Amino acid sequence: MKIIDLLTVFFGKLMVKTLHLLKRDGGNAPGLVLWTLNKKCLRAFKVDCPIIAVTGTNGKTSVTNYINNIFSQGDKHIITNHQGNNLDTGICSLLLNNCTMTGKVHADYLVLEVDESHVPVVFSQLKLETLVVLNFFRDQLDRNGEVETLILKVKKFVETFDGNLILNGDDPNTYRLGLANPNNKNVRYFSVEKYKYATDKLYEAGEGHFCPDCGTALEYDYYQYSHIGSFHCPKCGFGKKTPYVQFKNVDLSEPSFCVDGEKYYTVNNSIYNMYNLAAVYSAAKVYNIDKDIVRECILNFKVNNGRMEEFRYNNSVLTLNLAKNPVGANMTIRMLNENENPKELLFVLNDNLADGHDVSWIWDINFTIFNNVTRVVTSGTRAYDIAVRIKSSGYDPEKIVVKPDLDQAVESLFSTDGRKYAIANYTAVQPTRAALKKFIETKAGDKQ
Amino acid sequence: MKTIKILHMYSNILDLYGDSGNMEVLKYRSKMRNIDCEIEYHSLGTENTDFSKYDLIYLGGGADFEQQLLGDDLQKCKNDIISAYKNGTFLLLICGGYQLMGQYYLDSNKENIPGLGLFDYHTVASSDKGKRCIGNIVVEAELNGKKTKVIGFENHGGQTMNITKPFGKVLFGNGNSFNDSTEGYFEENVIATYLHGPLLSKNPDVADYIIEYCANRNQQDKITLAPLNDELENKCREVMFDRLLK
Repeated sequence: MKIIDLLTVFFGKLMVKTLHLLKRDGGNAPGLVLWTLNKKCLRAFKVDCPIIAVTGTNGKTSVTNYINNIFSQGDKHIITNHQGNNLDTGICSLLLNNCTMTGKVHADYLVLEVDESHVPVVFSQLKLETLVVLNFFRDQLDRNGEVETLILKVKKFVETFDGNLILNGDDPNTYRLGLANPNNKNVRYFSVEKYKYATDKLYEAGEGHFCPDCGTALEYDYYQYSHIGSFHCPKCGFGKKTPYVQFKNVDLSEPSFCVDGEKYYTVNNSIYNMYNLAAVYSAAKVYNIDKDIVRECILNFKVNNGRMEEFRYNNSVLTLNLAKNPVGANMTIRMLNENENPKELLFVLNDNLADGHDVSWIWDINFTIFNNVTRVVTSGTRAYDIAVRIKSSGYDPEKIVVKPDLDQAVESLFSTDGRKYAIANYTAVQPTRAALKKFIETKAGDKQ
Repeated sequence: MKTIKILHMYSNILDLYGDSGNMEVLKYRSKMRNIDCEIEYHSLGTENTDFSKYDLIYLGGGADFEQQLLGDDLQKCKNDIISAYKNGTFLLLICGGYQLMGQYYLDSNKENIPGLGLFDYHTVASSDKGKRCIGNIVVEAELNGKKTKVIGFENHGGQTMNITKPFGKVLFGNGNSFNDSTEGYFEENVIATYLHGPLLSKNPDVADYIIEYCANRNQQDKITLAPLNDELENKCREVMFDRLLK
């Protein structure tokens, strides 16, 4: 190791220790400082265990949490970025907090959620063993740029990567990564068989309409959701695969699925969760994790943290789901439609820096399919934008209540009984959780 | 019932930034006035499109890669689009659609994409892909002699130059190029602009201008559109004007 690297880690570690002595949680700050000083500082860490990374537009946090849950069984020590600090500086902070003064990181597994655009820079410095890529969707275009640019960045990295590459075989954007390095014998695809609500036509805005190899329009046998489905190029054969893991007999009402000849039950009842679970199952299979552990986790584990999180008040059940982009929101709309009973929706839309200032993505959400939604409450810094969006889809404006203030929005939502759903975008999800909890606790207190 | 015939070109390719929402808004606001919107599509592989039968031709924005894909097909439609425009068909052109109707577009890879040459302007993108005009934008346009503020979101690397008749004066944001004073291109039957949002979602005046133009095209008896309840739209505009213009 170069002396400069040793000094880098030593300095960073001093920073962390000082913060600890001051009883401060530095958060991302130590990593940020270190990264600013030395853009190659990650190579200074000596990690003595397999590194597993999860990337993709949607589902990173959930899949990382699942993998942690499964891989930590049997007293295994896992180091992971729980809080979703998934940029280079966040990962640097994580390692600083968990290393010795000389930069040794000791664990059974290092499981990292990594932002798509940071995969190349992080893993040019840390030896990656397994990379899981979930999907590529349009996401905060004003911040991230076009989807194609992002895919090319990751593709460039996997061209020289020969570790385990676990890819969603039903997304043309991730499928193509498997062809990037013909010498890599460790490419594995996961796939989910056609489910009940799959469609013949594209239902929601999608990416990757064209074959990345020859430019011909891709043909689909069916779409599961967005551009995820069974595709092939009629000209060059792009899309052929033998899945390493294939979920069959997906039944969202139980909810359950079959894989490798066995039936699994889960608490997750949406198609995109099935894909997340297929990614998790694939990672567990690569590492020969005991099937009972996998079964138990798939049956009981919940991520919460604003991802399909349930809240209860009086006789109402509310499901809150994060949606950073159209695909995420469309999934929640699908889910609430699959419930035939009357229900109300809260939509919280912010346009802070981390959300992207551009809110035009809400126009890629398909609201025309609303099924028995009796009222909509909108909130957030762009509460009126989402109200106009829903109105223009043909929904009765009389049934839309706009409350930019979150506490007022929650109060309005719970002024009626019945089933509720809430969608919140990135910076809105934690404030929404807080407002829901505060309202429920205050009301419970009032009654005593 | 009156019918407006719309041709939405390359809806499956030029569909970034929610631009298809413009069609939804037109449909909604027409329907509220008892006017029917008949939307048909032209894309790669569509044969025998009769461009002369439409009141409105619409093109949205797309990524560079996708803009290249449709180049050949668009050139094939060139003469038909020009004669439709000369016949008074309304052209609503957003971002990529705006650029493609000019003389040429020199993209960030220095690739020259020829335009249809309907208008004199041309567009050049910086070779530095990071240099883009991105952000909220407010311009002041004049429609039927009435000044109106138009709000949207711009996100373009291309800098459009040699504009003779801009769509509006920039009150906040960049416009046709970095820190420009003007935005877009305008004729009685042409609105070409960088404004996403989508454009018509927060600008009922612009939407109604287009609907009225299309509904009255080739008609003896001209109609005036009845006002709608735009309370939500107006509040939405107010919030953003307060934030950006004060």
